Amino acid sequence: MTHIQTSTSGPVLDKDLAAVERSGPGRKTRPAPRPRGHRENLTGYLFMSPWIAGFLFLIAGPMVFSLYLAFTDYNLFDAPKWVGLKNFTDMFADPRWRQSVKVTSWYVVIGTPIKLAAALAVAMLLAQKRWGQSFYRAAFYAPSLIGASVSAAIVWRALFSDDAVVDRGQQLFGIDAGGWIGDPDMIIYALVGLTVWQFGAPMVIFLAGLKQVPRELYEAAEMDGAGPWRRFWSVTLPMISPVLFFNVLLETIHSFQIFGSAYIVSNGSCGPADATLVYTCYLYDQGFANSRMGFASAMAWLLLVAVGLVTAVLFWSQKRWVHYEEGAR
Amino acid sequence: MSRNQGMDRRQMLKLAGFSAAGLGLTAAGCGSGGGSNGPVTIRHAWWGADDRAKKVQECVTLFEKKHPKIKVKTDFQQYPDFWKKFNTQAAGGNPPDVIQNAVTFLRKYEAKNVLLDLNPQAKKGNLKLEGFRAGLEKFAEIDGKLLGVPVGSNSMALVIDEKVFEKAGVDHSLGWTWDDWYAGLQKIKSGQGIAGDSGPHGVMYLYDLILRQNGKAFFTEEGMGFGESELLPYWTEALARVKSGVYADQKKVEQIKPASALAKGLSAGEFTWDNFSVRYSAEGKSSYSLAPIPTTDGKKTGQYLGSLMLSGTARTKHPAEVATFISFMTHDPAVARIMGYDRGVPATTAQFEAFQPTDAPSKAIGAYETEIAKAGVLEPITPHPAGADVVEAAFLRIGGDMSLGKASPEDSVKQFFSEAKTALASN
Repeated sequence: MTHIQTSTSGPVLDKDLAAVERSGPGRKTRPAPRPRGHRENLTGYLFMSPWIAGFLFLIAGPMVFSLYLAFTDYNLFDAPKWVGLKNFTDMFADPRWRQSVKVTSWYVVIGTPIKLAAALAVAMLLAQKRWGQSFYRAAFYAPSLIGASVSAAIVWRALFSDDAVVDRGQQLFGIDAGGWIGDPDMIIYALVGLTVWQFGAPMVIFLAGLKQVPRELYEAAEMDGAGPWRRFWSVTLPMISPVLFFNVLLETIHSFQIFGSAYIVSNGSCGPADATLVYTCYLYDQGFANSRMGFASAMAWLLLVAVGLVTAVLFWSQKRWVHYEEGAR
Repeated sequence: MSRNQGMDRRQMLKLAGFSAAGLGLTAAGCGSGGGSNGPVTIRHAWWGADDRAKKVQECVTLFEKKHPKIKVKTDFQQYPDFWKKFNTQAAGGNPPDVIQNAVTFLRKYEAKNVLLDLNPQAKKGNLKLEGFRAGLEKFAEIDGKLLGVPVGSNSMALVIDEKVFEKAGVDHSLGWTWDDWYAGLQKIKSGQGIAGDSGPHGVMYLYDLILRQNGKAFFTEEGMGFGESELLPYWTEALARVKSGVYADQKKVEQIKPASALAKGLSAGEFTWDNFSVRYSAEGKSSYSLAPIPTTDGKKTGQYLGSLMLSGTARTKHPAEVATFISFMTHDPAVARIMGYDRGVPATTAQFEAFQPTDAPSKAIGAYETEIAKAGVLEPITPHPAGADVVEAAFLRIGGDMSLGKASPEDSVKQFFSEAKTALASN
């Protein structure tokens, strides 16, 4: 569609301008001929209609309905009853909700930086020319392709269970602590490990960013006597800061929404002892197991507001640390 | 370029026509039934594991052979996931036609008009209600509506690792007391280094029996039948037993889920429904047997018959076919020969007589149920109010969290009652 519009917009515009010029003062204004673009727009909308319908019925509609539900008591079966802000006050008084906020915040604050650091470190290694480079890139990216799948989480659960690979590995070092899955203090690290392992997507973006850094800057820095660490700190990081910002933003939002891996690794319990009770897991449990859909909707909207606020803060903070080329901002 | 500048009206109409046809086809594909003369398809959903799946599928194949005009599509999940999915389907107006059901859910879904009243179908002759053992046909009757038909009866029991109990020389005959049981666990722990029990503190149905032995019950018609002062000593004691190793290491119990701690050798006993021993025998390496529920006074066990049942759902377009299928599953002798005691001891005499167990676990179940029936310990079941399912899940989870040392018994008890209150109010 873009192609059609660009190729025809020129002549249509010229004709319109000519019509305006002709209708000077004192002349009888002739209506401009109906531009051909209208029909094209119609065609465009027709082609877009499945998406528009999908958006209206599957996204916008449910969102508006969910906003309404957030202020009701709705058990999935009986008609929703308006309760005002009760769901929100109940939420703050609920220790399990507070636990879910705690677990999610911890996961975002710890997991995201580690994942990005891993992605950047590997991207820097892969940015250098070496034999088998394409293989390494594909191999490091592969986990993110399968990472979102249920099977990866199941494998993760198997790896970190009692007497499984990780447990036996620990035993080699004389640590007989059992598996991580049943340990409320350890299972969250297994989850963080799973997310870090899926660093492929930010890695590819970092790789693209690293390729854009002009070689001359490194040469100049080297001539000034800057070592590798200094070059990384004073050249690489500022130069890739827009890419870093993009990745931080995306991964933070992504981390807030963690569900599948927590649900599967904990065998659907979000436990043990609520140790993996991430926000969406509690939301799902309240909505579908406890039939408190009004409460779950209120939780969902609060999450949206929280993610919005964090995004706003990140955008605000970027002025201080993101370096754009002149005029690129 | 002219082609790119837009479609003519005819092309657009064609496109619109194809889209509409596509939607129509999709809609047609979503329909579950056939025409009035063609075969009717009903959906049957149940919870359980793979071994039950094979058995149910075998029964369905047999049913379709006998009733060529009815097709049955099956679907199964693990227990908690089953209900999450069912809630969503039922709320969306598209529940399966026949579901496996339990007493915990009857009032909840009755209040929401989700379940089909099977009485009219029984009157029409599509569902046979004669020949049930011990009045089981009334098991799911609530306010004059018949909301389910039992497929089997089961009772709570202590499933034990026979070899371990034998080696420890623990006498577990009917009427033994909680003190006898606990002394046995200590003997097992000190003699063989194994935890004597998986940790019964989260099992709602067992705690119900303990309360009933003391003249109370887990639920009353109105709500909870006990208070914080009863639960606190029970959970405090449980935590001490976990710490001393008499109950299994809860971290390990947690990570082998959904497998059972007993079947995986983490403990020598587990309080659960007697028919679970069939599953444990398939999962575990030892030989498993059933011991009676210990008592407080040497007599009263507080036990009652529980049952898995099949229910129809109210929005089904094919109530007659639903009833025919349920009738087949509960009466046909061939079904009993396939299912065995997988869902409990068959509820009808015809099925009970058709299956003569030859395997040890099934024989043990048969003997156990005969023994408790003869001893006259069985009592009527206590009510399960709407929301009982959520209360049960909370009891299991909070009891588990406490035994992992993440919350004190005091806080756990408070948390449980707070959640139970919310669940009973909102369901």
